[in-house]
Amino acid sequence: MRRAFDFRMTTLSLAAVCLVGMAACGTSPNTGGGGGTLTIQGDAGNPTLVENFNPFAGSQLHGTFLIYEPLQIPSPVDGSYTSFLATGSKFTDPKTLVYTIRQGVKWSDGKDFTPADVVFTFNLLKKNAALDTKGVWQQITGVSASGNDVTINFSAANVPFALSIAQTPIVPQHLWSSMADPAKDPNTHPVGTGPFMLDSFAPTQYSLKKNSSYWQADKVAPSEVLFPAQASNQSTNQLDVVSGKFDWSYNFLPDVKTTFVNRDPAHNQYWFPPGGTIGLYLNLTKAPYSDVNFRKGLSMSLNRTTIATKAVNGYLDQASMSGLILPNLKKWLDPSLPNQGLVAQDPSGAQAAFAQAGYTMQGGKLVGRNGKQATMTIVMPGNFSDWVAAAKEVVQEVAAVGIAATLDLPQYAQYSQGIQAGTFDAAIGGYGGSGDPYTDFSLALSSTFAAPVNTPSANNFERFKDPAVDQALTTLASATDSSAQTQATYALEQEMYNKVPIVLMYYGGSWGLFSTAHFTGWPSASNPYTLPTNYNNSLLTVVTHITKK
Amino acid sequence: MSIVTPVPPPTLPGAEVEIPRGPAGPRLPGPLLFLGRALRTLWSNGKARIGLVILAIDVLVAILAPLLAPHSPTATSFTPYQSPNATNWFGTTGNGQDVFSQMIYGARISLLVGIVAGAVATFVAVTIGLIAGYRPGIIDEVLSFITNLALVIPGLPLMFILAAYLTSRSVWTIVLVVAFTSWATGARVIRSQASTLRTREFVTSAQFSGERLFRVVFREILPNMTSLVAGSFFAAATAAVMAEASLEFLGLGDPNTVSWGTILYYAQQQNALLTGQWLMVFAPGLAIALLALSFTLVNFGVDALSNPRLREKS
Amino acid sequence: MRYVGRKAALFVITLWGAITLNFLLPRLMPGSPVDAALGKLASSGVVITNAQRQAVEIQLGVPHGSLVSQYGQYLNSIVHLNFGSSYSFPSETVAQTIGKAAPWTLALIGVTTIVAFIIGTLLGVYAGWRRGKTADTTVTLGATFFAAFPPFWLGLLLLFVFAFKYSVFPIKGGYSPGATPGLSPSFLADAVYHSIIPAVTLAVTTLSGWVFGMRNNMINTLGEDYVTFAEANGLRTRTVALLYAARNALLPNVTAFGLSLGAVVGGSVLVEGVFSYPGLGNLLYIAVSNHDFPLMQALFLVITVSMLVAIFIVDLIYVRLDPRVRQA
Repeated sequence: MRRAFDFRMTTLSLAAVCLVGMAACGTSPNTGGGGGTLTIQGDAGNPTLVENFNPFAGSQLHGTFLIYEPLQIPSPVDGSYTSFLATGSKFTDPKTLVYTIRQGVKWSDGKDFTPADVVFTFNLLKKNAALDTKGVWQQITGVSASGNDVTINFSAANVPFALSIAQTPIVPQHLWSSMADPAKDPNTHPVGTGPFMLDSFAPTQYSLKKNSSYWQADKVAPSEVLFPAQASNQSTNQLDVVSGKFDWSYNFLPDVKTTFVNRDPAHNQYWFPPGGTIGLYLNLTKAPYSDVNFRKGLSMSLNRTTIATKAVNGYLDQASMSGLILPNLKKWLDPSLPNQGLVAQDPSGAQAAFAQAGYTMQGGKLVGRNGKQATMTIVMPGNFSDWVAAAKEVVQEVAAVGIAATLDLPQYAQYSQGIQAGTFDAAIGGYGGSGDPYTDFSLALSSTFAAPVNTPSANNFERFKDPAVDQALTTLASATDSSAQTQATYALEQEMYNKVPIVLMYYGGSWGLFSTAHFTGWPSASNPYTLPTNYNNSLLTVVTHITKK
Repeated sequence: MSIVTPVPPPTLPGAEVEIPRGPAGPRLPGPLLFLGRALRTLWSNGKARIGLVILAIDVLVAILAPLLAPHSPTATSFTPYQSPNATNWFGTTGNGQDVFSQMIYGARISLLVGIVAGAVATFVAVTIGLIAGYRPGIIDEVLSFITNLALVIPGLPLMFILAAYLTSRSVWTIVLVVAFTSWATGARVIRSQASTLRTREFVTSAQFSGERLFRVVFREILPNMTSLVAGSFFAAATAAVMAEASLEFLGLGDPNTVSWGTILYYAQQQNALLTGQWLMVFAPGLAIALLALSFTLVNFGVDALSNPRLREKS
Repeated sequence: MRYVGRKAALFVITLWGAITLNFLLPRLMPGSPVDAALGKLASSGVVITNAQRQAVEIQLGVPHGSLVSQYGQYLNSIVHLNFGSSYSFPSETVAQTIGKAAPWTLALIGVTTIVAFIIGTLLGVYAGWRRGKTADTTVTLGATFFAAFPPFWLGLLLLFVFAFKYSVFPIKGGYSPGATPGLSPSFLADAVYHSIIPAVTLAVTTLSGWVFGMRNNMINTLGEDYVTFAEANGLRTRTVALLYAARNALLPNVTAFGLSLGAVVGGSVLVEGVFSYPGLGNLLYIAVSNHDFPLMQALFLVITVSMLVAIFIVDLIYVRLDPRVRQA
């Protein structure tokens, strides 16, 4: 009893101190010494964390990204590579990719890291298809080592797929070769080459300590990283974030200047760069959406700025119809596209396009040749509130051009089933965001993914087929010099802009929230070295960039 | 049923008391007269009076919503995240909608769901409970089996599944889901009361005089349970109002409708507490609470109506 | 005894019916667990590829085969209490997942319900006894008003004021980050500290059901002949109220208590959700939203069995308290 009472008193007085200085409070006591503790808003604890550091699991804890390293990390912003376990890479021909493996790297148990570990890792994915989430072995036929080089052989020219190869986390052969079932193993004693090692795990928080033998240890400022679990409840997480518990968190916040920055203007900063594109997908196997003129008309009826304001509070802008995320990928932008591919609302242009598709305005209704009003059911997961807000605005805007649109708001699983089977009318969906134009265009537009209706396909679910696009994609896949790459990318942008396979609307955000109280050098608009996502490879990029204050 | 307050077991009227023989009795005045007398008796009860006033205000607001609301509840034309001001009395949502107008229109959905779902659930509960309670043996066993089954399937997950399974999600879906999951408690309570009443003298004597099942159940037993049935209705209606709010709050309802539940849902989504728009959270919750309170208070009066012992001394 | 035997048989049949319904309901839901798993990825901004879909299908080991053979496997696994591992927590068994969450729910909601029942019933006896007096009005009106609060809403407000605005209580969870659950005094103190606002929320909103249920029963029973008779025989009114009237008035409340105790798990979903409490309610919400068949079924089974047992026990107690039903 007495203890309980004492405890309450301590907590209450701590709370009182917290009231005085918000920022100073949330952070955990600095036990690491030297570099200090970096606190990152961690994984969602549902309701508690499950220990899993298997880098291929899909359900691995985020800290895994600081324990294992890939060969290279392509920037999700512009696709440029940063070297990790490979010092360089080169296509000797469009079907052969050679990585030069870094020397002098050790696993955290003291054993040497060798090119054989790289070969082993790729063969592990071949043996355990459940681990191959990027479909590596659908593209490559073999992997071999000679000296410091590891050679990957492709089944067909696919230069852009290097993106996926490079990001494969490398695991130690001497430990993983004896693992009974690597697909299921939670790997609770992870040994990697990365900057951190597992220190302690509890159901609501785990901590990593610095790997002192890390090959670029001087670039790693924190001595300890804490990952306190998130709540499964979004608004609770937002309250947690603004009370200053984290150095780095990832959360959408309404009115971020008031709710976050103003609480500690000296330290709190945010960066909400575009991380993907949200578009209105139309089922191209159905009339009238199969008619490119109808799609153009639809595209011109939308006020994308208003939609972006409703959906993402105006944190992000309308999307370019080039299919590129701007400004991230501006070096690929075809200069001949009008106004950077930004399409403005144009009611009379829309009416002209609809007329070409056989639809005319009659008494406030857009009526087709069959005498019926154009209707549209837009489907999206009911709990994706920004998509719902955007769709509501779309309904109002297309109503102005005479289309009767309604919303269908099922749960995600039902939405996913419907769009993949191709049974929808119109759907809100995500597009792009890989940082690489080829990957973005290929997944969304390649006819190889355009399965017949009722055969599920996770990609190109609008079912777009166009020989010109396939041709450009093939060219881009085998292009190793930059002018050929540029020309093929321009062609794809023109196709996206002119054929309107997807009505791209606005950019989806990447919600980075930082505190400079302990560390500085976070990614920002002026130094966009990676996206502020704290649940993937960006973790590794960021911890090797930040410096102690 | 599981996400709401446990339904209080309603009053057990003493059967020996000289209870008016219910609306079906042969010497009764017209139904209108009965209703008038019922309302007068209700009005004479202080608590019920408060309940009736709140309920009447809610009903009026719901009916007159288009006249009372200063703006359209769905138009997104205002500056988002506004605090209460002269134009938007309760502030605006993150999408730029007027919260006050939404509150007024929201009364419609909550009332509709409460009354319709409450009525459907009560109808099912009374039918099953009465028959089961009066016919021991195989009929009782089968009906009790169904009732128990409905009781042990957890209500909220069942609502989840039904809400997800019924692809067209509208207010009516919620009404059906709520009614379907909240009849069992009432049925069980009514059944146990009916089985007790069955052995009382006046029922036994009716049986011996050769009256048919239907007649005995609905003429002799049901009138003795007016308050129990009314209690079931108001409990189910309260449960329905709460369940609607809960489903909407979790985003399992129809986010297109404007109801107090969806206001709370969007308040949570847009974290209205964080942006300082506490009215967007406080007002709909209080409105739900007041509506539920009015149902309960009227229920007090209903008890007094059929059970003179509960009448307040004036 | 015949009565008890029949109730036992009914218990078994109901159990079978519930188990079968539990099997069917999740399978009626549209969308497969694969779609749901991909949804989690998609909501974090990942663009889903066919390769990912395949990998997820293999990882989940989604059941194939006819409904009948799946049903056979399902019954078999229930008999052996072997639920396999869930899709949401692939690296542990379902029994482990539930085992970790159950104590939190049982402790938090079980205790608050029992406390609300005891306090509520006592207040109800008091109000019924003092019927018509100021004490009665105060108790019933107050309890009614609090009962009308949606629990999640009250929880939200309390959370915002006491956890966020004034930081007196923690914002989320059942214990502090980094703590390892155990039975040490400091951990228990920590857990109690974390449970205060959720417990208050639940107790306040469930108290009233008991209060006015009991009050009305009391008033009725106080008017029964045998009570009047006892009073006429010169027994003290307090004795009459407590011994005679309360005992009989308790009857319907016992029914409600059994049902409500069984509904504890189902009822915990929203409140645990608001407070991010590590219990079964949270787990259930996750299972349903991820189409996690194994976890959902096991959770349903736990809830079903606990409710059935509660009802069975209530039936038995009922017989003891009211001999009239025994004659049936």
